[in-house]
Amino acid sequence: MNKSDIKLIIIIILIAIIVLSMIAILNDNSNKQALVYYDNKLVLTIDLSETEKKEYLVDGYNGVVKIIALDGKIKVDEEDSPLHLCSKQGFIEHSYETIVCLPNKVVIKIVSSKDNDLDTILR
Amino acid sequence: MEIKKISRISMLLALSVVLNILESFIPLFNGIIPGFKLGLANIVILLVIYTYSFKDALLISLLRVFLVGILRTGLFSMSFFFSLGGSIISIIVMYLAKKITKLSIIGVSIMGSVSHTLGQIIVAIIFYNINMIYYTAWALLLSLPTGILVGYLTKEIKKTLDLSIKW
Repeated sequence: MNKSDIKLIIIIILIAIIVLSMIAILNDNSNKQALVYYDNKLVLTIDLSETEKKEYLVDGYNGVVKIIALDGKIKVDEEDSPLHLCSKQGFIEHSYETIVCLPNKVVIKIVSSKDNDLDTILR
Repeated sequence: MEIKKISRISMLLALSVVLNILESFIPLFNGIIPGFKLGLANIVILLVIYTYSFKDALLISLLRVFLVGILRTGLFSMSFFFSLGGSIISIIVMYLAKKITKLSIIGVSIMGSVSHTLGQIIVAIIFYNINMIYYTAWALLLSLPTGILVGYLTKEIKKTLDLSIKW
């Protein structure tokens, strides 16, 4: 490892820290909604302002995907895929986070109501 | 292409596919962190960039993506295109890093690892419209240790091979 390698490592760490802090500053957690997409089409909108536990079933490519919303957080509980990546990911709660189930072609995004205007009109 | 080179390149291709399958058996790199992989196949690609040429590395990498697609993830699936985008971008970046900058093999490997992740994220954003900016920062940090490891392994392997093989 020479000097320019170490410079490269420092630059990458700095970029990562800048991006992370920018996300933390710009983050808006008011009126969160979870949008569930199957094959790039919006199939379900879940209001995350409620606190009690709710279960949703969405058709995925390999079968039904079970989604649980609880206390402003959302997770994929059961799905059928080789590695179960998206159910292992657990709860997400911030408005920039996503759960992606590649084999099931299901994507869950959390958005705050502000940047959701366009989707509301399209729906 | 002479026969010696063809057979060597096909052996390296087979090795890169095997390494790809092998690393998916390591539990840490099999789903604890979504999408996080060791990238051992990059050892082969780096070795080819350093010993043969950019064109051979691109050839091996493209064939590897297709073979892994056929064997494991499914051809033309979503993960196939992620892999394709990541591989092409990382090879171009690694080649340029080797050519232009003063980076050692470890630095070039870090560049490859970082650009592979970024390539996948670019594909995700452009073709599948998935917003992954949050994920990008963590992916950048995670590509550092894997990049360093792969670079170090490549350096040691190349040192050993240089003694016994005339490239």
